[in-house]
Amino acid sequence: MSRLVAVCAALVLVPAAAADAQEDPGRFEVRSASAGLEPGTDVYFLDARLELRLSTEAREALESGVPLSIRVEVEIIHVRRYLLDRESAELTQLYELQYHPLLERYTVRNVNSGTLDTFSSLFAALNSLGRIDRLPLIDQALLDPERIYDVQLRVLLDTEQLPGPLRLLAFWRRDWSLGSEWYRWSLEEVE
Amino acid sequence: MEPRRSRIRNVLYGVLLVSAALLWIVGLLLFSQVTENSDDFARWTNWIFLINAVGIAVLATLIAGNLIRLIRDHRRQVPGSRLETRVVTLLVVLAIAPLVVVYGFSVEFINRGIDEWFNVDVEQGLGNALELSQTALDLETRDSVAALEAMARELDSLEARADLATEVGRLQRERGARELTIFGPNNQIIATSAEDPEAAVPPQPSEEMLLRFRQAQIDSNRGGVARQPSDDIVLTQRSDEPYVNVEPTADGRIQITTAIALSPQLRTGETQILRAVFPVPVRFSELANSVEGSFNQFTGLDFQRTALKYGFTLTLSLVLLIALLASVYGAFYSARRLIGPIQQLMQGTQAVARGDLDTRLTAPAHDEIGFLVNSFNDMTQRLARARQEAKTSEQLVESERQKLAVILARLSTGVVSLEPDMRIRTANGASSAIFGADLESHIGESLEELSETRPQLAQFLTVARAHTERHETEWREQIVLRGDARRRVLMCTCTELPAEENAPGGFVMVFDDITDLLQAQRSAAWGEVARRLAHEIKNPLTPIQLSAERLRRRYLDADSKELELLDRSTYTIIQQVEAMKDMVNAFSEYARAPVMEPSVVDINELIAEVAELYRHQETAVAIELASDGALPRIEVDIGRMRQVLHNLMRNALEATESRDGACVNIATRYVEADAREFVEILVTDNGPGFSPDIIDQAFEPYVTSKPKGTGLGLAIVKKLIEEHGGRIRAGNDEHGGARIVILLPASLASGAVQVAGGNEQRRELA
Repeated sequence: MSRLVAVCAALVLVPAAAADAQEDPGRFEVRSASAGLEPGTDVYFLDARLELRLSTEAREALESGVPLSIRVEVEIIHVRRYLLDRESAELTQLYELQYHPLLERYTVRNVNSGTLDTFSSLFAALNSLGRIDRLPLIDQALLDPERIYDVQLRVLLDTEQLPGPLRLLAFWRRDWSLGSEWYRWSLEEVE
Repeated sequence: MEPRRSRIRNVLYGVLLVSAALLWIVGLLLFSQVTENSDDFARWTNWIFLINAVGIAVLATLIAGNLIRLIRDHRRQVPGSRLETRVVTLLVVLAIAPLVVVYGFSVEFINRGIDEWFNVDVEQGLGNALELSQTALDLETRDSVAALEAMARELDSLEARADLATEVGRLQRERGARELTIFGPNNQIIATSAEDPEAAVPPQPSEEMLLRFRQAQIDSNRGGVARQPSDDIVLTQRSDEPYVNVEPTADGRIQITTAIALSPQLRTGETQILRAVFPVPVRFSELANSVEGSFNQFTGLDFQRTALKYGFTLTLSLVLLIALLASVYGAFYSARRLIGPIQQLMQGTQAVARGDLDTRLTAPAHDEIGFLVNSFNDMTQRLARARQEAKTSEQLVESERQKLAVILARLSTGVVSLEPDMRIRTANGASSAIFGADLESHIGESLEELSETRPQLAQFLTVARAHTERHETEWREQIVLRGDARRRVLMCTCTELPAEENAPGGFVMVFDDITDLLQAQRSAAWGEVARRLAHEIKNPLTPIQLSAERLRRRYLDADSKELELLDRSTYTIIQQVEAMKDMVNAFSEYARAPVMEPSVVDINELIAEVAELYRHQETAVAIELASDGALPRIEVDIGRMRQVLHNLMRNALEATESRDGACVNIATRYVEADAREFVEILVTDNGPGFSPDIIDQAFEPYVTSKPKGTGLGLAIVKKLIEEHGGRIRAGNDEHGGARIVILLPASLASGAVQVAGGNEQRRELA
């Protein structure tokens, strides 16, 4: 019976203990973002600056060899006056962040394009991740000039890509639920 | 219908239960998969949690409902609730104990097992392997740096306008570099050579590399984003060593990128950078990657150790919780299944005890309880049948009794049964009518008490008591009751009733009012007498009369003294014979019964016709007619009816002739009596009326109050009226005058019935 009590106590205390410790809860935030037509093309390009700071728990996982997935979601929203706004298009960029203990380097792999960048520090890796320059967003031909569009963007730690046990844990623990609010701005028509 | 519906419901429940259980098992299986590294199940995580949470919530609700019901039943002391509580407790304890034990051991084993996996030796070994790989890589790096420095020296020592491109190509091939590039200002490529001729343009120098060599310029290009130089860059700058970077490539290899600044004297103040990329041997790359992969996997798992334990424990706990809840609900369910029939039996027994024999229980199954329930049903069915039979026979007796009561009530004979102490047990309507006392409403009272106010009853009781005092069990006697109205003769028969177990004996007395019977007998006797008289007396009268007349004619011429005597005597003889003839004629008239010749007449017309005859006689009597104009025509023998009216008129005139202001009134009207239609003829006068001593026998022959009446007038009237099926009554009105009431049936078609009904009417009049 005492064993049962101990187990129950453990169940309750595992998440609680983590919350009690003086740890960095991490922070994902969209600092700035803008989208505009590149001169000479009909394509909107996205520029964004994201602040990405991993929680202690996530950083420890990364340094233990667990790859982390960071997802950037961009949505183009058709703003309607009387009806609810409607999502017209979406774009998702998935990045895989990994630590290589042998080389003592961090790699960022863009899952969409397959390119791999290496960094000597986590800071540099996150910095690079947080700098989105000239990401092709949408062809102007796909947008109705009569309509008003908003763009919204957010970045989050994709816990679904975590290995099983961590995924289960991440379901309950707050320091795994890293994600920014939607950052929303109006897509301006450039003549 | 009912059992079929409940069977359908059971099947439905079963399907629901099985599908819920399957869903739950699938959920649990998926849940157990969550702890493994399987991306397929990643997106199901939330659903699995949801399914399990819903399952738990449903079970918990069901259990809470059952618990509340059980507690309420227990408080209300519903039969069977104690037993149910005990069974539920037992089942729950039996189910929970092993579950908890297994759970405890499982959790312990899992925790210990996981800790066992991460023992120190493996970690140490992997760490060592990693260190070894790093050392090997360091050697490679050092070689690469040495090669780079050698190439830089060679390039620095070149003539001013030597062919840089050729030199670079040569150096790249000699030194085994994958790529060799010289960057000028603004990352402009001055010369390049690559191992792979397909690679068109060498990649731009990495930021880290540029940071190392041209930090100021990079900073100005960065714009608003402020950056701190990382420690290693600062260190490289300070020690003026070449830039080295060992990095993985996209194709899974490892390459060493090195860079060094060429001497500025050569290139007129411009900083040029030589970058060389050396590949690490393929085999080395593979081994290093393998070591790193293993190390990563191990440290990753080690990091996940808590999470793994947590996941396993959570899964186990969830399974335990659901299993616990399911078994508790199962305990409730099976307890109810077990107790249900017993409860039903208890309720059924109570219902039977209350007398409700229609209780039928549904047998749950073909087990012992089912057998018990069937036996119970059998028992109640038999009880109900027995009760039904008793009720039927009771109803039969009751209906017999009612039939008897109806017969007794319609009987013109009075029947009274008495207790031994003379209290009335039963009495019929006829007996009440005979005694002029409502015996039916005095059932249970003593005859003696009743007789104190009812003289006729007292007369009867005197006779009856005389018999009972002599202890006669059966007697029969004719009793004459002298009442206020008329004398009545009763034939009374009394029989002692046999005593039964719970009812003492008593008497049953039967009375027949034979007054009318006696009277009819007398009338018949008189008729016979009259006929004989007419026959026997009339014959000698004629010769007597003729003889007297001849005597008178022969000797009346002689003039002698005796002549006067003769004259007087013969006259007297003739006179008396004439009178006797009249009398004899009257008698024969009374006895005569010619055939009825009925015809439909207006009785008012007939009355008016007769009255008119008397009106023209010289009498001072006023004759008043009060005819009802709306009388139905009736069927009568006109001759007889006229005779009736003549007799009544004559009686009335004779009764009133000596009076002043004498008046005879004849009224007709339509009456209904005993649901039959009658025409009533009412003859009243203001004469002296009937004297009390003859009023009872007014219609008997030779009863008269007149000085020279034959006494046959009313007797004949009565006879004629009865021949018409009518009734006649004689009495005095409130002024003392005689009052004759005749009722003639309005339709003679049912004359026979009228005669039969006449008896009843007569009894009522009595």
